Amino acid sequence: MNIHTYEKAWLAASLLLIVGFIVTITYGSVGLGIAMIDDSEDTIEPDELDEDERFAEPRVEQVGENEYEAYVVARTFFYNPDTVEVPANSEVTFYVTSGDVIHSYSVVGTNLNTMVIPGEVSTMTAEFDEPGEYGVICNEYCGGGHHDMEGQLHVVPEDEFDMTELSVEAPDEVELGDDATFEVTVENGQLDDLETTIDLEVGNETIEEAVTVAGQESETTTIDVDTADLGEGDHDWTVTVDDYDESGTLTVAEELEAGDDDE
Amino acid sequence: MSETYIDRFPAEAKVVRSAFYGSFLALAIGGLMGIIQTLHRTGYYRFIDSADYYTVLTAHGVFLVISFTIFFLVGIFTWAITTSLDREVEDIRFTWGWYALMAIGITLTGIAILAGFTDATDISSSVLFTFYAPLQAHPMFYLGLVLFVVGTWLAGADWFRSWWAWKQENPGERIPLPTFMVLTTMIMWYIATLGVATAILLFLLPWSLGLIDSVNPTLTRTLFWFFGHPVVYFWLMPAYMMWYIMLPKVSGGKLFSDPLARVVFILFLVLSVPTGIHHQYLDPGIAEGFKFIAMTNTMFLLLPSFLTAFTVVASMEHGARQRGGTGYFGWLKALPWRDPVFSGMALAGLMFAAAGFSGMINAGMNINYLVHNTFWVVGHFHLTVGTGVALTFMAVTYWFLPQVTGKALWSRSVGLAQVVTWFVGMTFMSNAMHRAGLLGIPRRTAEPLYEGFEYSAVVGSVGELQAQIALGGLLLSLSLLLFFANVIGTVLNGKSDSLPANEYAGTLSGPEDSPRVLDNLKLWTGIAIVLVIFAYTFPLLSIIERGGLFGPDVIEYVPISVDSLPLLVGAIELVFANTLAAIGDGGTALLEGVTR
Repeated sequence: MNIHTYEKAWLAASLLLIVGFIVTITYGSVGLGIAMIDDSEDTIEPDELDEDERFAEPRVEQVGENEYEAYVVARTFFYNPDTVEVPANSEVTFYVTSGDVIHSYSVVGTNLNTMVIPGEVSTMTAEFDEPGEYGVICNEYCGGGHHDMEGQLHVVPEDEFDMTELSVEAPDEVELGDDATFEVTVENGQLDDLETTIDLEVGNETIEEAVTVAGQESETTTIDVDTADLGEGDHDWTVTVDDYDESGTLTVAEELEAGDDDE
Repeated sequence: MSETYIDRFPAEAKVVRSAFYGSFLALAIGGLMGIIQTLHRTGYYRFIDSADYYTVLTAHGVFLVISFTIFFLVGIFTWAITTSLDREVEDIRFTWGWYALMAIGITLTGIAILAGFTDATDISSSVLFTFYAPLQAHPMFYLGLVLFVVGTWLAGADWFRSWWAWKQENPGERIPLPTFMVLTTMIMWYIATLGVATAILLFLLPWSLGLIDSVNPTLTRTLFWFFGHPVVYFWLMPAYMMWYIMLPKVSGGKLFSDPLARVVFILFLVLSVPTGIHHQYLDPGIAEGFKFIAMTNTMFLLLPSFLTAFTVVASMEHGARQRGGTGYFGWLKALPWRDPVFSGMALAGLMFAAAGFSGMINAGMNINYLVHNTFWVVGHFHLTVGTGVALTFMAVTYWFLPQVTGKALWSRSVGLAQVVTWFVGMTFMSNAMHRAGLLGIPRRTAEPLYEGFEYSAVVGSVGELQAQIALGGLLLSLSLLLFFANVIGTVLNGKSDSLPANEYAGTLSGPEDSPRVLDNLKLWTGIAIVLVIFAYTFPLLSIIERGGLFGPDVIEYVPISVDSLPLLVGAIELVFANTLAAIGDGGTALLEGVTR
């Protein structure tokens, strides 16, 4: 076969370039550890995500000192949760699946980007060194409202990050002289123990109670308030734990009217 | 008087003409959709609902990359076969038969898409060009595609039939280069379309008709890309053919090397299909190893394009020197830049080279994370199919249309203005799309700006990018108007007696310099099939094993599983052994050719 000398040189240079590309990509995978989205997760039944222990309640979980896992479900046309919050200086593994058609989970301006296919769980691990806020978009057409599908990824400073949840159960009405019972539940999603204080303000009374919640546990504290001290009338109350609060109104009456009439 | 194509082949000229008209109709509809979506997306002018944007986008994709490109290429392939074998088609009724089938098919698909604009029917197919399940189109959409593809299969059969008949009469002759290019392209197309045929006939069509309840989305998606990557070579190889056999001629010279042109087409035949998984780098459920194989195959697919760049530029230089050009770069001035056929193809080639660079980025599987499904990708393929192919097709129309109508081109100056406007318009649009993609702006969206965050541009601004895209879109639309004016003006022209003869470029280094093994189509087909089997058997089996043949609900009906793998591996080994034997024969022949 008759090949011009220049063309032979060009051919050799082209092959060298191609091999060079393959080498750099291999280095990116092996040397820098940029793994591809793969088949490491088991398949999942997209119609039964409500019964799946990971995706029934999509959430962020702490799994190690600076390690978190985020579970996200993509549906037309939203993400659940729509905002994922993680601390800076953490390593986060995302698990994303779809409940209907093909979507993507793409963190704008980063290389966090995966297709989300019903029946499969996409997983990718990323390190977040700095605090920041990112938009999350679906970049695979998923139907007429595709352009409305967006979420957020918040990387918050380490000292501002917690996974505390507060819930309060309190009566609406209490007879004067009886105790009003506040049940305050503090949930600690992080691994370390949470030492904090419950502040209850009701009427003019202020009650403080120290509480320690073990890692990934929840603790319910019962606080009784003597309504005689409050007096008759409507009293606003607020329960505060760290940055969280819940409030309501307690009515103290001379005699309870409702409920007893039928007897 | 010189002999034009229509003088020599009046019946075939009518088919080629009809193919061109079908192609231009699709270009007009697709182009109209293009400007509507450009102005909507950039926010400059919106008169449709954002939900309807996706119907516009589906029509833009399907009409331009399926009907415009493929109708045009069956036209020039028919020209190439008849001209280079110097024989009429075997049976003109058969030729009209496949043309009609393609036309009926694309009409059905087109109706299924455009009906989405009206509520008068419940027909709708806004599933985009990729029709990924579980998005579902109207059955007519899938049915039309099947008929269209079967039409192209029959067209291929027509051309093979011509070649076989010619071979009987010319034993021992080398396959003429244009025919060789047509045949290799069609073999590649037969292999590639098996994927989409399987996806539609076995899964999507029965599913849209309600015969089966569900499909495996990863499986139909993988089968789509089995076809979806090589289909880009189905558009591109006819453009390459034009660069090899027409560009040297209009440059005033000859093709630099016939043997390397054959090698290039063989490389495309062998490597086009086993690369489709590179569109699925970010898909869950496919192992990293399979993606790595697709990546290496893709990288080697750069080789035929590099070779083409050399040959085409060398042929142009040869032509320029024949025209009196001198100096290291001074010869460039001697090229016929005022001829729209030449300048259109040269500018298309230049843009295609730029597309090669963004393609290398796309192919790099880890850097792909940054650009996957962003506007960058749209910028990339508006350089490849949108310019490398489309501008080449429009440019050669100025040569072909007189050949198949017998009428002189209406205006060379308008033609020149058209190709230059396209080049400038695409420079604005594509460059801005690439940059927008790097900011993370997604493709395939009616409204790329979101409520919850803003893109941060290091250079320029999002508004500036949007303006460039809109400006580019307007210039491209203007270019299309000039093109149609020229086509209509030419068709309305009177018959001309002074048209150039129907010829293609001769070669400096002809087929006598290339080993005969290059013409052994069975050998190259065998190798292509083996590579496909290697690249796809295990991914497909794994996808079926994971997600079920018809989706997870009916997983127990999977006919093949990992248990039946040894049987399959046995079958593959058999095919492989046979092919190796064939390669052995071929290799010996190749060595003889080289040493001779």
